[in-house]
Amino acid sequence: MTTERAPDSRPKTLVTGVIGADTHIVGNRILGMALAKARYKVINLGALTPAEEFIKAAIETAADGIMVSSLYGQGELDCRGFRDLCIEAGLDDILLYVGGNLVVGKQPWPDVEKRFLDMGFDRAFPPGARTDAVIETLARDFAARAQGLRRAVE
Amino acid sequence: MAQALPHRERALPLKATQIPEDVFHVMRRENLARWPTGAEVDLDEAAAYHLSLPENKRLGTIMRKAAAEGRCLSQPRGGFATLEMQRELMQVLDREGLADVVPTTTDSYTRNEQWHNAQKGIDESTRAGRSLLNGYPMVNYGVKATRTLVEAIDKPAIVLSGTAMPRLTSEVGYAAGYSGYLGSAIAYTVSYTKDVTIEEGIRNYQYLDRLVTLYQQRGVELHRRQPGFLTGTNIPPCIAIMTCVLDVLLAVEQGVKNYGLELGQTLHLIQDAAAIRACEELCQEYLRRVGHNDIFTPITSLHWMGAWPQDEAQAGALISYGGTLAAIGGAVSVTTKSTHEAIGIPTPQANAEGLRMTRMAIYLARNIRLDAMDEFRREKELIGREVRPVIDKVLEMGDGDVAVGTVRAFEAGIMDIPWSPNRQVKSRVLPARDADGYLRIFDPASMPIPEDVLEFHEERLRLRAEREGKAYDHELAVTSVYEICEPLSHLAPFPWPKD
Repeated sequence: MTTERAPDSRPKTLVTGVIGADTHIVGNRILGMALAKARYKVINLGALTPAEEFIKAAIETAADGIMVSSLYGQGELDCRGFRDLCIEAGLDDILLYVGGNLVVGKQPWPDVEKRFLDMGFDRAFPPGARTDAVIETLARDFAARAQGLRRAVE
Repeated sequence: MAQALPHRERALPLKATQIPEDVFHVMRRENLARWPTGAEVDLDEAAAYHLSLPENKRLGTIMRKAAAEGRCLSQPRGGFATLEMQRELMQVLDREGLADVVPTTTDSYTRNEQWHNAQKGIDESTRAGRSLLNGYPMVNYGVKATRTLVEAIDKPAIVLSGTAMPRLTSEVGYAAGYSGYLGSAIAYTVSYTKDVTIEEGIRNYQYLDRLVTLYQQRGVELHRRQPGFLTGTNIPPCIAIMTCVLDVLLAVEQGVKNYGLELGQTLHLIQDAAAIRACEELCQEYLRRVGHNDIFTPITSLHWMGAWPQDEAQAGALISYGGTLAAIGGAVSVTTKSTHEAIGIPTPQANAEGLRMTRMAIYLARNIRLDAMDEFRREKELIGREVRPVIDKVLEMGDGDVAVGTVRAFEAGIMDIPWSPNRQVKSRVLPARDADGYLRIFDPASMPIPEDVLEFHEERLRLRAEREGKAYDHELAVTSVYEICEPLSHLAPFPWPKD
């Protein structure tokens, strides 16, 4: 696991948890450990977290990003309207990541990714994505944001 | 969401003893009123329906027969959002997969008693023509509709519903003609919930086990099963078996006689075989101590429950080897996965293939046993030395009441579960894989496992750290979580790595 630093000196705050009626906590907990090691301030909401609780926690902690995990296939239902809830709460531009086994069954990843990006997520990570990849992308996206961009360009 | 316990019930102190008939009558009435399909449950009619089923559709009987004949039965998991999709799935598993036991997995909204959300999932899935739920919403469909599923197959059907709140799903499932139900107080509360207390989980499963004895009084022997796989993430056999012993002790107090125990495979042939044997022996040992000599406790072995490799060929090896492990270990049944496991829920065809791969492996492994091996004996004996001090302490903490002892033991961390999502579980115990592929305990936290046993675990884990040139720290536990899903280029590269 890398220990890349968040790009600016103030540690960024990230809210993370497993959305919906899902209890698959292991990957999310390991992601939390890796994010903390990479000097992020991690607010971990754990398993079985409704969308509203992510947003509430993001407001309370003035978070810079929300990282949603889902492994049980129903993420597609649980994540609908997530960006709208953020906008209603005044978190229009908060960085939104989602990752895991996001849909029921084996579907082509580009289709699944597009579905989640269309929902307003900034990044979607496929099954089996490693924490190193997530942390590297986070660093690039926060660097891009410091330049006034929405996220890093590929 | 999780229902609060009805007021009357909350007023009663938690006890392991059987729920009195008059109290249970009231509990059932309140439970069945929580969703319209509850009104379809008629116990006498349901018992008569079970008695009308041929023997090959009764899981209680089939498990006893398989155990007596030394067979290893195969059973997959599977559930889709609509009745039609579910029927097709079950028929494919029965006919193309040759499943000995046909499953119905419920969706996660149903498991969490969010029946309104489940209804939306049914509607959206019907519109989309594909399942947006990860299982079958059994309560929404109810008894009459669900019975058509039992009638569509020629094997016994089992409900798989990973939940600490089984009260209504079990009423509907058993009344629909399902003859098995997977789930238990400790295992599912610590693995599938965040805020449900151990006490609530125990009360909810006391309800289910008490329900089973009502069928028993009407001449129907239903199968109950304990999901000892827990969080599915590197659970050392001893921790799984501790929950098996406590859960079976809780179940028999309600009157259950036919109670299976599940163990997730460690993927080490000798450790798995030792675990299967030790589990049955330790359950029977503790049952005898409380005067039960007639409880049937068959063991089910489960294909790897941790993270799976994306490569379907690697997954295929886990599936076939899983059949071998179950058969050589002497398990009465094996629960299978498919080559799609890393991606999510398999198609019916991929699921059926997983069954046939497993079945072939079982066929090849017939009559092989490891009992004469010293290493097998060492591991089996080791498990006993890990399990007994913890169980004895739990029983002592409850002043003889296993329900009370269990609640207190989790509060104190005497019982602990790795990687648990439940806030009542300390989840400080950390397992890791040793140099030879055995699952060991890196950090026991507050579990009272004897010093000499822990020294052995540490020695084996230090050997791995040394061989890999790594520090002896908790990273051993984290890398063990990922190990099995790593690509072959990492696990077994060419050219061979230098020592």
